[in-house]
Amino acid sequence: MKWGIFFCVLIIIGVIILYEWKTIKTYPKKDRITFFILLIIAGALSLFDLPNLPGPVTLLESIFQPFGNFMESL
Amino acid sequence: MDKGRISSIQMGMMMYLTILATAILTVPSITAKYAKKDLWLSPIWASIIGFFTVIIVIQLSKRFPRQSFFQICEHTIGTLATKLLGFLYFTFFLIASGQITRTYAEFIKVFFIKTPVSVIMITMLLLSAFTVIAGIEVIGRVAQLFFPIFVFSVFIIIFLLLPQLEPSNIFPILENGLLPSLKGAIIPQIWFGELFLIVFLLPSLSDSKGMKWGILTVLLILVTFIITNITVLFILNQNTEFYIYPFLSATQLVNLGDFIESIEPIIIAIWILGTFIKITVFYYVTILTTAQWLKLSDYKPIVWPIGILIVEVSFWAVPNLMVNNHIDITVFPFLFPIMQTFIPLFILGMAVIRKKSKSLEI
Repeated sequence: MKWGIFFCVLIIIGVIILYEWKTIKTYPKKDRITFFILLIIAGALSLFDLPNLPGPVTLLESIFQPFGNFMESL
Repeated sequence: MDKGRISSIQMGMMMYLTILATAILTVPSITAKYAKKDLWLSPIWASIIGFFTVIIVIQLSKRFPRQSFFQICEHTIGTLATKLLGFLYFTFFLIASGQITRTYAEFIKVFFIKTPVSVIMITMLLLSAFTVIAGIEVIGRVAQLFFPIFVFSVFIIIFLLLPQLEPSNIFPILENGLLPSLKGAIIPQIWFGELFLIVFLLPSLSDSKGMKWGILTVLLILVTFIITNITVLFILNQNTEFYIYPFLSATQLVNLGDFIESIEPIIIAIWILGTFIKITVFYYVTILTTAQWLKLSDYKPIVWPIGILIVEVSFWAVPNLMVNNHIDITVFPFLFPIMQTFIPLFILGMAVIRKKSKSLEI
């Protein structure tokens, strides 16, 4: 866990909320919820050490492994 | 969702830059790995996927005019399946945008050794975010502005390289039959498949020439691909596969009367112009996918949050250049055609079957 990155992302998220606050208030509830959920996901992801965390591409690699082996054998 | 309108020519220019910006540098080397001296033939096979994708997408939009991709899906495969598909496309475009941004940053890092990768990515995404917020019209006009610069620079470089060309390098043609050139087409077809993105641009077209310009764009991309591949082959011969950026290495050889030389900064500059369009188009499509998938009233509020996600995903999905090159060969040649060609084909098939069964009922 790298606190420096986390706090940087928190500051960026804060700036985004401040910047969008006036316009976001006028949008319907669904838009506001999506906006905040996406920001929460972004904040949560920055807590992890992303380059060393198994992610979507690890999943894709295991799904396409037979094809990958085929490509490497060419 | 986006009230802006672009012409089909602007759409063609956007797609041309989106596809060629990254392809022109890295693809010749990957193609040469499999096709050896037949690398100039591979784009011809790869372009079949491009024509195929354009025809599928245009047929879809003809059946459901002025409807977004997920609205079309809802009509054909139902609400629940559309929600699932929406999630798949959302993650797919997030990973694709992350990977593109990362590739751009790693290329720039070769010249800006001390600058952190994240700074290069954030500055580019900041610029793209402002363009995305401005809407499709602005992206179209920027593409229209950069297109002539890009094409002119590429062809002036090839023109300057004319004295160095050795046309005899092309022989022997088809030394080991057609198979090597077909193998070499597996990677370039990823780029041709990216024409699927026009499904998100078609509802914003101000005219009905989408089909004509879509096909013309594939042809133009094919011609540029063949010309750059042949130039690289004529200069670097069978060594092409050992360069990471063969076209850049070929450009370094430009030398006209000891006066015009070292013009590789030009290719880096035009590459940045092209990649800016590429990142912007992918960013825009990611945002449009999210907004249409979740049925939001506007896409503007989610531009900044998705921007952070793209940066994070680019580190998550592509930890380093080794992994990037590995997934480029083992994952993307299968993932991209499935998402960009086969799923739209399946939806088109469903639409045709549904229409037939409906007419039978009546």
